[in-house]
Amino acid sequence: MNRIEFMTELAALLQDVPEEERRDAMQFYNDYFDDAGEDKEGEVISELESPRKVAEKIKADILGQQPEKEYTEAGCQENSRTEKDMPVKDYSYQGYQYESDVHNDEEKKPWSSNILKVLLIIGIILVGAPVIIPCAVAIVLVAAACIAALFMFFFAIVIGFGAAAIVGVVLVCAGLIAIIPELAVGLALIGTGLILGVVGTIGTVAGVKLCIVVLPGICRGIVWIFRWPFQRKAVA
Amino acid sequence: MVFNTGAALLDAIVLAVVSRDKEGTYGYKITQDVRKAIEVSESTLYPVLRRLQKDDCLEVYDRQFDGRNRRYYKVTEKGTAQLELYETEWRSYSSRINGLFEGGESA
Repeated sequence: MNRIEFMTELAALLQDVPEEERRDAMQFYNDYFDDAGEDKEGEVISELESPRKVAEKIKADILGQQPEKEYTEAGCQENSRTEKDMPVKDYSYQGYQYESDVHNDEEKKPWSSNILKVLLIIGIILVGAPVIIPCAVAIVLVAAACIAALFMFFFAIVIGFGAAAIVGVVLVCAGLIAIIPELAVGLALIGTGLILGVVGTIGTVAGVKLCIVVLPGICRGIVWIFRWPFQRKAVA
Repeated sequence: MVFNTGAALLDAIVLAVVSRDKEGTYGYKITQDVRKAIEVSESTLYPVLRRLQKDDCLEVYDRQFDGRNRRYYKVTEKGTAQLELYETEWRSYSSRINGLFEGGESA
């Protein structure tokens, strides 16, 4: 990483801080690189570690500003400082400890409201579950049954006419066989068979056509019904 | 270094460093001077300077140097008062600790 890359990344990371803060920080680090000189550029970059770290420190400090003024006429506030200034157990020098505390405090606020929302939703689900879940299951099952019944109704029309046509054909065959011993019965059977066969065939064709027209319509209707609550939600 | 430098002590050190130059001094030099005294990462010092500036302990101005604008920091009256307060506090604090280390006299 060189100076230009470093500064570009820093500027990008500081997009969410106020304009004035960003400009001030950019000017500082720009000056810093200028004053360090070109030959120390690499050294400065490795000392600063990463644009991310630099940006985090700047942001932590900006956030830390708002809740309390650091300086009062009384000077250093002993009670608030003492805890922060307590050395950590491990003796490796961590630099300057307070910024991480400040950072955490700031981040808790948006979190807590999110947690509250989640808890509320869980609460509603827990309270409503014994009523909502059986009702939802019942509604879904009734809807499924209605849809199945509709499909079955049209299916039955086709099968019924199909069966009539088959019976017609069988009757014609039976009539042809019966025509030799008993002419009248045979002719009657053939006649009935022909009528049934024609009616059955017409009915089957009409039923299939009806299905072709009606079933896609039903499917669209079902899709529309299922989409309706989601669309309403999206509007609301 | 086993001791942490707290926020107040770091502020005091930065104020002390800046106040040595009556005309004011600039970021890189402040950082180098502070780092002569204590170990502190370079990225820590900008926020300290910025905060001191916002609290009116430091004032900034830009001056031409080497064909560019360089930002200078200068201690204000409030900063001087604050530094004096820190120095008093520090003397009392360090003498108590020294007293403790050197044989139990109470401060």
